[in-house]
Amino acid sequence: MAVLDELREAVIDGQAKLAVAKATQGLEQGIPAEVLLQDGLIAAMREVGRLFEEGEIYVPEMLVAARAMKATVAVLKPRLIEHSVQSSGTVAIGTVQGDLHDIGKNLVAMMLEGSGFEVVDLGTDVPPERFIDAIRAGADVVGMSALLTTTMTSMKDVVDAITAAGLRDQVRVIVGGAPITAKYAAQIGADGYAPDASKAVRKVRELLAV
Amino acid sequence: MSSTVHEHCTSRERTELALEHVEADRVPLDLGSGPTTGIHVSSLYRLRQALGLDAPGTPVKVIEPFQMLGEVAPDLIDALGVDVVGVGLPKNFFGFANEAWKPWTTFDGTPVLVPGRFSTDTSADPRGGLFMYPQGDPLVPPSARMPRRGFYFDAIKRQQPIDDEHLNVEDNLEEFGPVTAGELAYIKREVARLQPAGKAILGNFGGTGFGDVALVPGMNLKHPKGIRDIEEWYVSLSLRPGYIYEVFDRQCDIGLQNLARIHEEIGDAITAVFVTGTDFGGQLGPLISPRTYRNLFMPFHARVNDWIHSHTRWKTFIHSCGSIWRLLDDIVAAGFDALNPVQTSAAGMDPSALKQKYGDRITFWGGGVDTQSVLPFGTPADVRDMVRDRMRIFGRGGGFVFNTVHNVQAGVPVENLLALYEAVNDFRGYPLG
Repeated sequence: MAVLDELREAVIDGQAKLAVAKATQGLEQGIPAEVLLQDGLIAAMREVGRLFEEGEIYVPEMLVAARAMKATVAVLKPRLIEHSVQSSGTVAIGTVQGDLHDIGKNLVAMMLEGSGFEVVDLGTDVPPERFIDAIRAGADVVGMSALLTTTMTSMKDVVDAITAAGLRDQVRVIVGGAPITAKYAAQIGADGYAPDASKAVRKVRELLAV
Repeated sequence: MSSTVHEHCTSRERTELALEHVEADRVPLDLGSGPTTGIHVSSLYRLRQALGLDAPGTPVKVIEPFQMLGEVAPDLIDALGVDVVGVGLPKNFFGFANEAWKPWTTFDGTPVLVPGRFSTDTSADPRGGLFMYPQGDPLVPPSARMPRRGFYFDAIKRQQPIDDEHLNVEDNLEEFGPVTAGELAYIKREVARLQPAGKAILGNFGGTGFGDVALVPGMNLKHPKGIRDIEEWYVSLSLRPGYIYEVFDRQCDIGLQNLARIHEEIGDAITAVFVTGTDFGGQLGPLISPRTYRNLFMPFHARVNDWIHSHTRWKTFIHSCGSIWRLLDDIVAAGFDALNPVQTSAAGMDPSALKQKYGDRITFWGGGVDTQSVLPFGTPADVRDMVRDRMRIFGRGGGFVFNTVHNVQAGVPVENLLALYEAVNDFRGYPLG
């Protein structure tokens, strides 16, 4: 379908206005919102992820594509809700206590949303209690970001707090950020680690088996 | 490479020889000459205590409040054998002067002295953090925040709505103006003060850092206009390149005029100038494409470096964190003489490979020890081993000024700091072991 291809290309190229126009056009043509999401947005996101992982696009282009994705999701969301299209799961994401860096976390949040997940963005400098509250409010996955070697230790505090609250079994924990490694993730009892936003989405899918 | 054996160099001679890719008497050491070769006050305090330089409780001065870097005073310079000192502008990143010192205690309990206009009121932030105000004015919205239990500041987003139909480059040029008579007098006085000690001097004059996201938020401006949000800035490199190019072009004109006036005042009294601190790399790869570097940044880097090389004897210094090996051909071609911090823990930044490929053309000013895992989390023996290896790899044929990879952060065990500087002094002599 031409409009689906055009939507996909517009998102990959980061043309937010065009992407929104194509999504709107698609809905007017009677294409189900779910199809626009899967074959338009999620396909675009996969391509953007591949381009980023292969070093063909970089942070500015990723951000611009992610923004186009976010703008398009906003158009599709009311229709998805109207037709009771289930999200693939809820992810609560935040930068840990003591850390204010958020661009990476924002990228992950946008790409997860573009992939059909419900995202609760807790912001930055997030204490453990707020991650716990998010789990109690229904999050299936908790995602934590840290940029600093001095704040990454807060991630363990969060995992420990989740365990102490008796909630560890009902949530998956993924971690990321510049100083984070798979080894560190395992050490602190997280379920997964991803080095970039694209792989983060894959990891969440894998953890939730969706 | 010269076959002359250089013995008993002054610090300045030693550093100059290194920058000329000649082995001096020993590898020069930098600690504290610039905003990316310093040490966090928390670690500085512990180091000074461990070396017996101060009575317990003696505060250390915060000379760079954004990153909470401490003053590397002459007694520490002597104790460690540091060869480089810095001269800058009278005002810091927040736009107030480092003067009227007052006592404060950091969140981790370090006793410090902070400038008079450094706000110490933690009640202003409902979450118990510390706000910092542009030009120290608490009547305007804060421009930075240190979270409770944090170690340094981050810029606060102060982004006005952007009207793409009416962008005005002047909005992103407010902080770039002609150097004032007062600033010139200050620089001249500082150079005169520092020169007799015979150290190499790094000039930190600002103005030529194109697109440095530490500076884009304009933390020294009370009501910044233009593109000030970091995420929006990165987006602009892709969506508004014409605007960015024009900002850089105007900024370059102003920056070069200022360097000319500074050179008139101090001549070649400084060894090198910190041209740009824009980070082009992240942990895994460049943050921007090689094409973006070549089109948007390289023309201005080349202009600045060409001017400096044609009109002065200063060496040109670039700071860029991260994995930038894919950009290095162009960075070297742009005329930089020294590369900092050489983040060897980032992808593809292998010391031997870097030295082999670029060692004859650029001086590695950094890379001495990894600061993401070895220095904070390794053993003293790990630190020592790495210092020895890095001396051997980077120091061959000169072209190496020893510095940690970026500022020494807070939370480094003091045993590791002692091991670091002991190893530096054990292994820095030429010929290298």
